[in-house]
Amino acid sequence: MAEFSWVSRSPLEHALVAGAHGARGGEAGVSLTEIRNFDLIQVMARRGKAVDLANAAKERFGVAAPDAPKAVQAQDATLIWSGPDQFFVLSRGGKHRIGALGQTFAQSASLSDQSHARVLISISGAKARTMLAKLSSIDLHPAAFPVGMAAATSMDHTSVTLWRGNDRTDGQAVFNLLVFATFAESLWHSILDSAAEYGVDIKHSEEL
Amino acid sequence: MRIVCPFCGERELGEFTYLGDAKPVRPAAGASEDEVFDYVYLRDNVAGDTSEYWYHGGGCRAWLKVTRNTLTHEISAVEPAAGVGARQAAR
Repeated sequence: MAEFSWVSRSPLEHALVAGAHGARGGEAGVSLTEIRNFDLIQVMARRGKAVDLANAAKERFGVAAPDAPKAVQAQDATLIWSGPDQFFVLSRGGKHRIGALGQTFAQSASLSDQSHARVLISISGAKARTMLAKLSSIDLHPAAFPVGMAAATSMDHTSVTLWRGNDRTDGQAVFNLLVFATFAESLWHSILDSAAEYGVDIKHSEEL
Repeated sequence: MRIVCPFCGERELGEFTYLGDAKPVRPAAGASEDEVFDYVYLRDNVAGDTSEYWYHGGGCRAWLKVTRNTLTHEISAVEPAAGVGARQAAR
């Protein structure tokens, strides 16, 4: 049998071209950063086990898992609501991979490893909200969508999980977007088209 | 038209898929042919409030039971369908 090894690579490997895109001159209105090499586990409570799941999550992460559309920051993971009695565990560094979480939630939840099934795009910049308004019907005004708010919604007919992370050091809002890997390139092009008039700064990173 | 999902809040129609009448109940195994025929094929064409299933596939992927007026499209109630989530919405 031939010896080979799998090389994982981003679904945006070809579509993402780091650097400037769209309007030039002045500061880019939208910054797009693809976050690579993260661990993402979907946790769904088994029937009648929602309370057990909540207790197990609290014990492992030290914070209560979200039971409404919110993203909760634990010490080394982000817990993101994805539907009734279910949430994502987003982390990096291997501490919260499916093997470890499988033991934590063995009695209360069913798990599914989504680490290579989603693409994570971080969107910020002075024109981030204006650009997202072209793609999303969610009200992203700071009063309606503060830091830690999340939404399971659709953009460009594609299901996404959207949440507001901590603001950048310059005070600008950060919107994080999880999209199915096979839809990522399509949505990426829609985002670039929507953002082009404001000027786009594109990069990828491994920092959550 | 917008539907207020009990889990996500108010969302546009494009995030939802319509299934149909939520009233028919599957007859017991020994039911007569007429009862099964009624369950499978016959639907009331109501002018007024109807109860129907909608799926929030573009959002939280929950099944919802929506009370909608077919004359005005006014939605008077939305609740999670039986069995949605490991517990029903608390709100």
